[in-house]
Amino acid sequence: LTTYGALHQLPLLDIFDTIRQLGWGGAFELLRNGIVLGSLYALIALGYTMVYGILKLLNFAHGDVYMVGAFLGFGVLTALGGPLAPTIALVPLILLMFLGGMLGAGALGVVVERFAYRPLRNAPRIAPLISALGVSFFLANSALLLTQGQRYNYAAYELGGNVNTGQPGPLFEPAFNVLDRPVTVVQLLVVSTTIFLMVALTLVVSRTRLGKAMRATAFDREAANMMGIDTDRVIALTFFIASVLAGAAGVMFGLYIGETYYLMGFLAGLKAFTAAVVGGIGSIPGAMVGGLLIGVTESFAAGYVGGQWSDIVVFGILIAFMLLRPQGIFGTRAIQKV
Amino acid sequence: MKKLSVFAALAVLAALVTAATGAGQAAYKPASLEKAANTLVTCGTTRTIGIAYPATGPAASIGVLQFHWAQFFQTRWNKAHPKDKIRLVQGDTQLPNTAQALAVAHSFGSNASMLGLVGPAGSQEVQDTVAVYKAAGLAVVTGSASRVALSRGKPGDPRETPVNFFFRTVPNDGQQGERVAFWINKKLKKSRIYIIDDEESYSQGLADQVQTRLRAAGKTVTRDHVNQSVSDFSSLITRIPSSTQIVYIPWQLAGKAQIFYTQLRAAGKSAIVFGSDGLFAPGTFTGRGSYVSAFPVDYNSPVLKAYKRSHGGQEEAFGLPSYTAALVNAKAIMKACKNGTATRAEVRKNIIATKLTKAESLLGFPVSFVKKNTGAQLGAGDMALPADYGVYKIGNNGNYNRVG
Repeated sequence: LTTYGALHQLPLLDIFDTIRQLGWGGAFELLRNGIVLGSLYALIALGYTMVYGILKLLNFAHGDVYMVGAFLGFGVLTALGGPLAPTIALVPLILLMFLGGMLGAGALGVVVERFAYRPLRNAPRIAPLISALGVSFFLANSALLLTQGQRYNYAAYELGGNVNTGQPGPLFEPAFNVLDRPVTVVQLLVVSTTIFLMVALTLVVSRTRLGKAMRATAFDREAANMMGIDTDRVIALTFFIASVLAGAAGVMFGLYIGETYYLMGFLAGLKAFTAAVVGGIGSIPGAMVGGLLIGVTESFAAGYVGGQWSDIVVFGILIAFMLLRPQGIFGTRAIQKV
Repeated sequence: MKKLSVFAALAVLAALVTAATGAGQAAYKPASLEKAANTLVTCGTTRTIGIAYPATGPAASIGVLQFHWAQFFQTRWNKAHPKDKIRLVQGDTQLPNTAQALAVAHSFGSNASMLGLVGPAGSQEVQDTVAVYKAAGLAVVTGSASRVALSRGKPGDPRETPVNFFFRTVPNDGQQGERVAFWINKKLKKSRIYIIDDEESYSQGLADQVQTRLRAAGKTVTRDHVNQSVSDFSSLITRIPSSTQIVYIPWQLAGKAQIFYTQLRAAGKSAIVFGSDGLFAPGTFTGRGSYVSAFPVDYNSPVLKAYKRSHGGQEEAFGLPSYTAALVNAKAIMKACKNGTATRAEVRKNIIATKLTKAESLLGFPVSFVKKNTGAQLGAGDMALPADYGVYKIGNNGNYNRVG
């Protein structure tokens, strides 16, 4: 171990080597990638945290609602001519994709709550948890049957671009450069839309009657009922909002990454769940911070250590939090619980 | 003393487990499999072939392609042979779920009416299940398990499957790897290459082959890995130096390759993407300027055109070897059934003697199987005369043009 050659065999030094080679530009690129990915995790994590906050239920079907949202966005894109020959302008097309994905996912969330969870409202807590797993398998396998396991691509790179010259569409044009590394329009779109939706959600929860009812229901459902709050309706609306956010994440994933697949909700759902736990499940700011933390960690692990390590690092963080701080980052001082 | 007792107990336990496992391997013949292996099947007009493929799970999208081709074969065969029809029984192996592949193997093996087998799809699946199929007397005829060691062990190492129980209608990784390395080295004349496998057996085998050959040729080769479940390659792409000239991705999922390509370009990197036959998917992998190695299939063949017509205009060849594998089985069974009955042993014997013309195989070359190690790459069960892999360049509009 006295020569550099021997030391070089140690993985730790490989990591230092990679850090040095990638430089500040590479570090920025990884941070950028992590923030974009983390934004998507955060949106899905919000759904986990909202439902957990109000029902103390880990809704494992939430990742599959996200998958359905992505498929619905793809359906709208296809119905309107597809990425290579869209029949309407880009901005209204993207807005319609969001609308289709979000409303469809929202409606699905309400249906799932009505038929899979509401009948089990007073059952032991394990019953709705098992029901959630069942719904997850039901949705994933329904998508498998409908799509025959095929992977569909939004092809957003080509959307509005020039197929003959290979020029990408406006979504993949650089919006600006930092340290000579481009930040594309679609990356900005993902982050800004996520911030907008999170701010909107925070305002809904903190400033509206619905938000007050949600907080009351989360605090004590029975008492809220006695105070005249229609808790079933509040819970249904919570599912709707959570699923709308998942639908938005699905469409954004499609626009940014491209791939839509019947199993896409599984891993994304697990990572978002990890984000919710790390942030402090039940806490809205916790979901946001947890999502970004997981996204950035995953990105740096993939960039500096290697792609095969990223999931190990992410789920290692989950284990570490469960052991050392099971309440998560915001667990003890959650300002808003829904 | 107490510690010593624990160690001793553990040692005895380990010895017992080892002995039991060894004994199990030497005489692995459960009664149900043995019974099915020796059953004399009355052929009738419809014979049963099993198809073990990933119908669900992460590799479902390519498993479905294999099944579509096998189904396409079944339709054509049954139309042409009304007295010798075949029936396909599906087994979902859920690649990479080996336990499920084993469950399918036991189910197929003990199904006494089953005379032939298409699949399993993955090299690891074949290695893990071939003992079960052997005990049941069924020969594995796979259309995609391409790891060299399945048919040809390295000097001093045994091969991973028993002779006469493993056949493939797909050239092995050594053959494809040699072609790709030659093309990168001699034709494209590139010297800085980044190889990324997707941590699956198929991908790792091919990546190893190309890496070894290019390093031997003095090229600068960096090896990286990415899990097949990953969709966001942006951080992986950050690791690829801007000076890289070729990124070789021997992956199975063409959709992933397309995402990789667009993210590479969006990151401002101009390296040429070179893919393996798993990525030969016009309409899905359309990265302009990329290369793909694939079978020299004749897309103007009326059969391939008919397949395209009956599958929504999709030109696809990854699943094509499963068509050929089904044909190998069907012909062997028909021959064995000449006297009205057949056994699995007869079918295996006929598979070994398979001879398909270029027009029949659809692969672009005639098919027969070698019976012993041949040349530097082939082992018993490999195709004797696989033509050189074709190299295709993807042009504008995603057109695939054969360049070598």
